[in-house]
Amino acid sequence: MQNRLGSPVLGILILAIVLVAIAIGVAAVLRIDLWGDRGSGLPSRFSYDLEAFQKTDPAQIGYRETGRISVKMLEPRNVAVGPDDKIYVAGDHAVHIFAPDGQRVRELTLSQAPRAVAIGGPHHKTPGRTYVAMKDHVEVFDAEGNREAVWESLDERALLTSIAAAENDVYVANAGGRVVLRYDVQGKLINRIGDRDDLRHIPGFIIPSPFFAVAVAPDGLLRVTNPGGHRVEAYTPEGDLEQHWGKASIEIQGFCGCCNPVGIAILPNGNVVTAEKGIPRVKVYDSEGEFVCVVAGPESLLPTRSANEETRTEHKLKVVALAVDGHGRVLILDPGSRSVRIFEVKQETNRKG
Amino acid sequence: MTDGKQNVDRRAFLGDTLRVAGALGFVGIAGFLAGRKSRGGELVWQLDPHKCIACGNCATHCVLDESAVKCVHSFSICGYCELCTGYFEPAPISLTSGAENQLCPTGAIQRQWIEDPYHEYKIDQSLCIGCGKCVKGCNAFGNGSLYLQVCHDRCRNCNECAIAIACPSEAFSRVPGSDPYLLKRREGHA
Repeated sequence: MQNRLGSPVLGILILAIVLVAIAIGVAAVLRIDLWGDRGSGLPSRFSYDLEAFQKTDPAQIGYRETGRISVKMLEPRNVAVGPDDKIYVAGDHAVHIFAPDGQRVRELTLSQAPRAVAIGGPHHKTPGRTYVAMKDHVEVFDAEGNREAVWESLDERALLTSIAAAENDVYVANAGGRVVLRYDVQGKLINRIGDRDDLRHIPGFIIPSPFFAVAVAPDGLLRVTNPGGHRVEAYTPEGDLEQHWGKASIEIQGFCGCCNPVGIAILPNGNVVTAEKGIPRVKVYDSEGEFVCVVAGPESLLPTRSANEETRTEHKLKVVALAVDGHGRVLILDPGSRSVRIFEVKQETNRKG
Repeated sequence: MTDGKQNVDRRAFLGDTLRVAGALGFVGIAGFLAGRKSRGGELVWQLDPHKCIACGNCATHCVLDESAVKCVHSFSICGYCELCTGYFEPAPISLTSGAENQLCPTGAIQRQWIEDPYHEYKIDQSLCIGCGKCVKGCNAFGNGSLYLQVCHDRCRNCNECAIAIACPSEAFSRVPGSDPYLLKRREGHA
């Protein structure tokens, strides 16, 4: 009799215990904050938030994205435009060459990772010649892709980050040495540009991180980024400082963060395109340094809202590189999406960009 | 037919004894060395700066009132920027040490002029609470030279670290006590 009465009670009791155990287990699993969404519990003044600065006034955006070329590289680093508006992308251990419509034409295989690439334009001594900057030296390829020369290596501190080909010269930005080196097309060093010189009123380049860029403008002057100084400087080929402009500001007219701009390219009309890291934005200034418009802002260059607050090295927002083609299209190499993104002036706006 | 008895002479007996003693001695020495090694390899908690997302949990989840996790600075990676984004608010009013310009809520970073335009930034660990706000600022724009570490002059080395449990990026692990810090080095820097 006791067994017949006791069994259902015992069963219900066991079932209740099991259900409570399951409920506790589920609650425990749900309490785990796998993604840290609940935050630390610290007041808001302890959090770092750039969201307010990641919005661009749509009225200031003068370009729209019209195309995208996928780059089959793990680590694309630099982009340049050659004769006939062919697009050259340097990265991994190669340079990939694309037609203006994005069709892949050819590939140059390299012995080590390239840092930057430049192509001799129609007025260069040897049009179509490809100059590839490695960490500490330059390698030269003819228009057919045959290696012509390997220039002498610089010292162990050298870190080449940008290269530009003018009519008779090749300019190499050495972030490690904080100087632009002017070579002839045979690789002979002609002079150094930008070394601190109080008599010539040259303050010297401030390069806190390995981003330092040079471009040749139609006026014959170089435009060089001075990221720690938050400005763009114009030099003659002989190294005289002719002009500088730019200011540190997180506002759209200035250069944000510790050290910007990090990339530069010149439009056919002489306007200057700059790229910034941290809050990624690509902007156009006129030749006097007046802000003209935004090519692309964080809205289009940030993969996620929080990407530029990322602290993990492998997740950190990668820095874009720039080039401009003969039609004034701005080419942005986006290492995050591994693509060359093509931006053209919006037709509905009447901008100088 | 044999009677099952073995004749053991004195020479063989001494030889066997020496062999057994030698084997036991070898095992003993090996055990002693293994024991010494395991005692010397005491493990302590540390966080990997390459996994840390500076979420702020280190400041609030440590069992100590003032967290054992503090910001440290790799001077070899630092750019010595005039406008340090680990020190200044994203839009500072001016580049001075005024409290309104400083990013750190506790004023734990000291800025010192070195030569124009370079400045050195040092952490006052007595003020740092390990919130990681400067770490995010430095990483967003700069070289990532500011990062968090468990400071072993404070850490109680709990069997179950409360911060490790709360860490959303699983940056905490036990490391040998003889090499208790996971430091960022210039070689690993882009």
